[in-house]
Amino acid sequence: MECVRTMNEPIRKITILPGKDKSGQSENFEPIDIEIGQSIAIVGNTGAGKSQLLYDIERLAQKDTKSSRLFLVNDKKPGKEIRFNPKRKLIASLSQSMHFLTDISVEDFLKLHLEARGKEQNPKIIAEVINQANQITGEAISATMNLLNLSGGQSRALMIADVAIISDSPIILIDELENAGIKKEKAVEILIKKNKIILIVTHDPSLALSTNKRLIIKNGGIVNVLDTTKQEHDIAHYLNWIESHNLKIRDKIRMGMEIKDVAIDCKKTKSGY
Amino acid sequence: MKFIIFAGTPGAGKTSIVKHIAKELKNDYKLFFAKFDCIQTSDNEKIEKELNIPTVKKLAGDICPDHYTALEIPKILNQNQDKDIILLETAGLCLRCSPYVHEGLGINILDITAGDPIRYGPILTQADIVAISKGDLISQAEREIFRAKILKINENAIIVDVNGLTGEGAVDIANLIKESPDLKNKDLTLKHSMPSAICGYCYGNKIINEKKVYQQYTQGKELKSRIPNLNCGKCGFKTCNEFIRGVLDKTAKKEDCPFFKKSEEEE
Repeated sequence: MECVRTMNEPIRKITILPGKDKSGQSENFEPIDIEIGQSIAIVGNTGAGKSQLLYDIERLAQKDTKSSRLFLVNDKKPGKEIRFNPKRKLIASLSQSMHFLTDISVEDFLKLHLEARGKEQNPKIIAEVINQANQITGEAISATMNLLNLSGGQSRALMIADVAIISDSPIILIDELENAGIKKEKAVEILIKKNKIILIVTHDPSLALSTNKRLIIKNGGIVNVLDTTKQEHDIAHYLNWIESHNLKIRDKIRMGMEIKDVAIDCKKTKSGY
Repeated sequence: MKFIIFAGTPGAGKTSIVKHIAKELKNDYKLFFAKFDCIQTSDNEKIEKELNIPTVKKLAGDICPDHYTALEIPKILNQNQDKDIILLETAGLCLRCSPYVHEGLGINILDITAGDPIRYGPILTQADIVAISKGDLISQAEREIFRAKILKINENAIIVDVNGLTGEGAVDIANLIKESPDLKNKDLTLKHSMPSAICGYCYGNKIINEKKVYQQYTQGKELKSRIPNLNCGKCGFKTCNEFIRGVLDKTAKKEDCPFFKKSEEEE
């Protein structure tokens, strides 16, 4: 089989081929194709084996992990170069446990990241990252703020905008992004617009139902693959709408305002709610 | 026989990662694990108990732990001729120093949360493999910046992301170990000369005073020229340097060394 040898060839899609679950039983699913601009949710109980799948994806497993799964890139086997080249990582990740640790201003930090990626120091790119981040968080970020003083929501928003715009990695793994106080739907939208492949491990209904497909994990194996229905997308949209109200109330409380009502009117709309 | 040295600052996750790597190797290879430290450690016992492979603990005490490691390597290799892979974990206290050898594989376990990698010396710049730990705690952007900085000071490094809790990266490092060359009885050579021990403080002086330091240094050097520097242990000290410090501190006598060459006046 032909190999995808270098990063020069753009990634169009990845394919997951079945391996084994924790009991050694073969997984039973048709090869799963994930194309750029698509988002996939990975769901299942705690301990079901979601992290193993992320790990398999992260190293584009070639039957060399516990699960024996095999991954294809653009219908071909990925070569060693693409899997292990330290200079160009195929996969970027975002998780709830991540923090900024560098004592530096937002602007200087983004400059440093551009430099590390060997990119031009264009002030427009930096402005774009901050602008996009501000669409994800309700609390505005400015270029002169110190990275360490950003709130949880601001940090998360900046990480997402930065991954979308500055990182070259075509595949983004998101591990439990819930409870971060950000507009999740907007975050996913920004990443999709930048033609990334997005995989989201989540317990959050609005996030899980906003994706194109979901993989259900049980006992270390992928037991089902569901395409998100039109109705589920509508439900996700509705849930996000409720959450946006929640965020608005949160901001009001922070500003010291008195809360008089939830401002949600549950009349039936065109989509059925 | 393959010889693998793991170095990294304390708390970087060396022992956990070595454990995961040893798990990947133990079914196909005869392993031996040596743990070096300064004051105390029980890391080797953990590995011996959990993985059932033979181990040894080496405590440097008063001596520079990396110098001590280099002194002990030949003994460890000689005593384990029947093994396939020797895994050695250093105390990892000094960034200036690291006993990596050309003939084996040097692996630096580098804690990404510990700050700018630019300030690390040979422990990072001379490593064949740089294993970055705790990457799950820090933003993607900072990880990319960190990688770029590592490659600036060690452009040939193979970089592997590792996680001491989940064992991420252990398979990759185990594969690199399998592919690494055998020692084949060649003489081992250090990749980098170690900082020298050249002052009175190295011979145990405690008073901060130029004259006293100089005096202690000349006395120490004089004694050193009259003993064979075999580190044989017959005097009761672990190394000849410790013996010299003992003599200068008057906790040992020159005659405790069976090879001590008396000066002409003393004869």
